[in-house]
Amino acid sequence: MNALAAPFRLAGSSRIDPPLVILWACLILLALVWVVPFVFILFTALKSQSDIMGGNPFGLPVSPQWQNFAHAWVRGNFSTTTFNSVFITVIKVPLGILISAMAAYSLARIPWRGQRLLFLLIVFGTMIPFQVMLAPIFGVVNGFHLINTYVGVILPYLAFGVPYQVFILYGFFKDVPRELSEAAQIDGASHFTIFWRIFLPVSLPVLAALLILDFVATWNEFAMALVILQAKGMWTLPLGLMSFQSQFSSNYGELNSAIVMTVLPAIIVYLIFQRYFVSGLTTGAIKE
Amino acid sequence: MTTTDSPVSAERSRRQLPSRREVWSGRSPFVQGLVMLAPAVLIYAVFAFYPMLDVIHLSFLKWNGLTDNRPFVGFNNYVQIFTADPVFWVAFRNVVIWTSLSIVIPPMIGFSLALGLNQPLPGRNPLRAVYYLPVIIAPIAVATMWRWMYDPFSGLFNQILTGIGMPGLILDWLGDRNVALYSMFAASVWQSVGFSMVLFLAGLQGVSQTLLEAARIDGAGRFGSFRYVTLPALRSTVTIVLILSLINSLKAFDLVYGMTGGGPAQSTQMLAMWSYTQAMQLGNFGNGSAISVVLLLVTLVIVVPYLRWTLRREDASA
Repeated sequence: MNALAAPFRLAGSSRIDPPLVILWACLILLALVWVVPFVFILFTALKSQSDIMGGNPFGLPVSPQWQNFAHAWVRGNFSTTTFNSVFITVIKVPLGILISAMAAYSLARIPWRGQRLLFLLIVFGTMIPFQVMLAPIFGVVNGFHLINTYVGVILPYLAFGVPYQVFILYGFFKDVPRELSEAAQIDGASHFTIFWRIFLPVSLPVLAALLILDFVATWNEFAMALVILQAKGMWTLPLGLMSFQSQFSSNYGELNSAIVMTVLPAIIVYLIFQRYFVSGLTTGAIKE
Repeated sequence: MTTTDSPVSAERSRRQLPSRREVWSGRSPFVQGLVMLAPAVLIYAVFAFYPMLDVIHLSFLKWNGLTDNRPFVGFNNYVQIFTADPVFWVAFRNVVIWTSLSIVIPPMIGFSLALGLNQPLPGRNPLRAVYYLPVIIAPIAVATMWRWMYDPFSGLFNQILTGIGMPGLILDWLGDRNVALYSMFAASVWQSVGFSMVLFLAGLQGVSQTLLEAARIDGAGRFGSFRYVTLPALRSTVTIVLILSLINSLKAFDLVYGMTGGGPAQSTQMLAMWSYTQAMQLGNFGNGSAISVVLLLVTLVIVVPYLRWTLRREDASA
């Protein structure tokens, strides 16, 4: 806000500062470099094969080949993979936040012996790279006979979502003033009621941030889905895109349409909820 | 570390110790707390914590992942990966290179961007959004995008090089074993710079404006106030960014899988991917798990001190 009130001016000065103008130009140039891949992908997605092979990579798609999208949709089995991705995300994300929030409330507000150790064990999980343990995760899910099922992929997703969310919400719930819950406690409200009626409503901004971050993480997840969802009918969007790439790698127009369709939902969500991303990332990592 | 031992909280927990009737009626805070903890803790224990212990167990067995026959072979798998598996050391070397690059280059660019975008510049919010955008894209999609940009014939890079009249620089970016790892790293930089930038921007919010003002009045220049006010205030942010970049780089899997599959000639192979290949594709769960354990141990050596530090800070601010 105040940046726009006095652009290019250092604090306490009313003159335009030349180094700032140069800096600004550099930042814009670099931002253009950052945008280039998106433009290139989008342009390719709209071009015919002959245009791609012969033409200028930044040439506008003169006659946009919208049918690339339609063809990629059918060939890449996008109706199935989109449905699977949406289904898994819609179940996993709210459910994950709910169980994490309950656990965080319990850890932050109901004292008992050994709690600290449990908290440490959970927080420890924020740093376990699951990419390293794909085989044992497969083993556990297989042990429950849940390979190629929605439940089979949602359970590990929940498990690896819990640590970070508990860590963030624990910190947040600890800071909720005592007075807020004590009045309700005296009136005989149970912890469930206090959690549901007082703690969830006051933490809506944090919950929103976690929800958005978790949406993107779940939507984009590849490695665990790769080992658990092996049947074609169960694939999520990232798995579908990967298989599309290996099958039709030389059909550039359709391949890039497939990329666009895979990443677009996450980009739209990001553009709408931008400010929550930043707060969700930074509340955890940086305090004060 | 031991807040539960403080007299105040010990007193509190004694006060809330439930009577037997309370426990069974579900009215006791203890039971309520347990019920609220149970779903998250059970799922976490079974599907995240147990696999971590299981991988240690599996690393001492010989198992193809399918049959019930899995004899105990002691440290055999470790001996095998260390002495008889040349790919392991290639993957290990690549992880070291990849990690060293990942903790230097993206954080440095992210830091510069954050410093720049913290100045009074028009349009700085859209600019921040642009740099952050790749962070939210699926790594597997980034892999696919960049593979196409690296296409030796119609890809973006070689087209540009032809266009500006420098066809001598044309390379098979992902097919040349001397450059493939670095080509892949460029994609990783593009994706991860926004992440460090956002953390640094948040850190910069915490730099005291009063101190900066005071430094300015005392005649400190741009460099002076940066060196003596901004930089010291960012010390913990720097630690956080470095550790998170390091952890993220050890996890590199999607990019490798999607861009090169570890090739050409294993020149982009990394430990997470090699462990997956051994266990899930070659059916050698023992070796795969032994590789996982090595990577886990490396991670733990870094993570445990970091977590202790984080929790101490958390406690101090509570």
